[in-house]
Amino acid sequence: MAGLKDKYCIVGVGETEYSRDSRRSTRAMAVEAIRKAMDDAGLAGAQVDGMMSYQSGDSTPAPWISGDLGMRLNFYMDVFGGGSSTEALVGLAIGAIEAGMCNTVALFRSMNGYSDFRIGGTGARAAQPVRGLDLAQVPFGMRSAGQNFAPTFMRHMYEYGTTSEQVAAVRVAHSKHASQNPKAFLKDRVTVADVVGSRWIVKPLHLLDCCLETDNATALIVTSAERARDLKRKPAVIMGVAGRVNKPRLDFHWAHGPISRVAGHYAKDIVFGQAGIRPEDVNVTGSYDAFTFTTMLQLEEYGFCKKGEGGAYVASGIIELGGKRPNNTSGGHLCEGYTHGMSMVIENVRQLRGTVDDYCPGAAEGKHSYDYAKGKCRQVKDARITMNLGWAMPPTGSALILHN
Amino acid sequence: MANVEYRGMNLVIPENDSEWREHFKLARQRRKLVLRKCAKCGLMRYPPSHGCPWCPSQEWSWQEVSGGGHIYSYEVVHHAIQPGFKEWTPYTVALVELDEQRGAPTADEALRIIANVVTREFRPEPEANIAIGKRVRVVFQEIGEDWALPQVSLTDEPPVGRVWSFPG
Repeated sequence: MAGLKDKYCIVGVGETEYSRDSRRSTRAMAVEAIRKAMDDAGLAGAQVDGMMSYQSGDSTPAPWISGDLGMRLNFYMDVFGGGSSTEALVGLAIGAIEAGMCNTVALFRSMNGYSDFRIGGTGARAAQPVRGLDLAQVPFGMRSAGQNFAPTFMRHMYEYGTTSEQVAAVRVAHSKHASQNPKAFLKDRVTVADVVGSRWIVKPLHLLDCCLETDNATALIVTSAERARDLKRKPAVIMGVAGRVNKPRLDFHWAHGPISRVAGHYAKDIVFGQAGIRPEDVNVTGSYDAFTFTTMLQLEEYGFCKKGEGGAYVASGIIELGGKRPNNTSGGHLCEGYTHGMSMVIENVRQLRGTVDDYCPGAAEGKHSYDYAKGKCRQVKDARITMNLGWAMPPTGSALILHN
Repeated sequence: MANVEYRGMNLVIPENDSEWREHFKLARQRRKLVLRKCAKCGLMRYPPSHGCPWCPSQEWSWQEVSGGGHIYSYEVVHHAIQPGFKEWTPYTVALVELDEQRGAPTADEALRIIANVVTREFRPEPEANIAIGKRVRVVFQEIGEDWALPQVSLTDEPPVGRVWSFPG
């Protein structure tokens, strides 16, 4: 987005409750989440003329819900995909607006990721026929995300000496953050011993190295900085975006190593180049924490520490509230709920506004205690620049840098 | 359409999917791992595909490889996702680097396949025996009339590089 830095913003965010038993359709949840984002921005239906979503055959398309929101769309697009889509769609929304196709775009992801189409791969997903490129892996009992990623994590441990205890610190940090988030599905704080003592899923992943599966919808609204001026909220201004950047040989990324390298290696120059900043300028990160390991890998690949030192970095306390650069202050996918990435962008928008919805009585007015004890505050003081590190799989990732 | 039930999964190869049909059929008939080899630059690739990743050619032939390799990385599945794998747990999924074309055409590239590490009886190899660097050989698990799955078994050959197994 050369030349588009600071010209587009996220002006509204919204989500539904995180549960495992929504008892509602993805259509119903999407309408609620988008309406909340519109109310958050102060936008009426007639003022939103674009809509995009991402899904994997498990959700509701934009045409089914725009009427429920009083919109007549000039542009819509429902794309196939999961993680890494949020940041990519923010970039595409900018492109659609810049092309003159529409003015203001609502993005959503709605999923009954536990009660209906379990994101972990059991149930409906496991029963699907196996064909095409899936024949290279699925017949060998390699189907779920954890199974698809684990050899990457294992090789990182082999090459760099990364330990289970180090990456467990990601879960510990995010659980602390979730304990200050009234929306979080899991609010209990855990220890490194809890993580490495939890049962095996697929070595090297313990149960608590893996994220939640939840039901929910999330939404955010993108428009130009010019239009944002008339809206209710202080906008989160887009400095740079990279979307679905890939490693070589996406058909079978194992063929092109090092396999401990992930897509952020290729995305970082795009996104930091646009934003004109360096990693040390970022105050808050939002990493795609499908697993503890994915956070560690992304933080090192984007240059927050040296390649290979991610284990020590995440175990150092830097990524906790009160640390130098907190990560996933909502609790993320490990503890708040699973949304295929959008919730971490929503959280960063709220951090930049200074009105994170923690337990501080004056949170909505930006009054925070900055006491990061359980059940207290999770606002980062003077958050100026945030960065989201989106992940689909080891060879595919996205990124988004925002400022207030 | 080739259609095989294996561990409760419906494995499907439509009639027009020649790349996979021939791959599994040749594995069954010849008991050899066959890969596509570019007719122009001579480099092999896996999975079977239609264009050479390194040169513009779309011409290729099937090439037998030795079936020797080593474990490059792995995982041990304790919680099976597919119901048919539950009685197999814990089982290892290995990323195996083949002996041919290592470090070519660039240092970071190699021919690698995904396979289970199995015993002679096609049971999962006990996880205590699995390690990065250990040598393996491709074996063929017949699952249909025209279909064998290339799997791997440990050999007693000296390892490749540093031997390392997950400490947990």
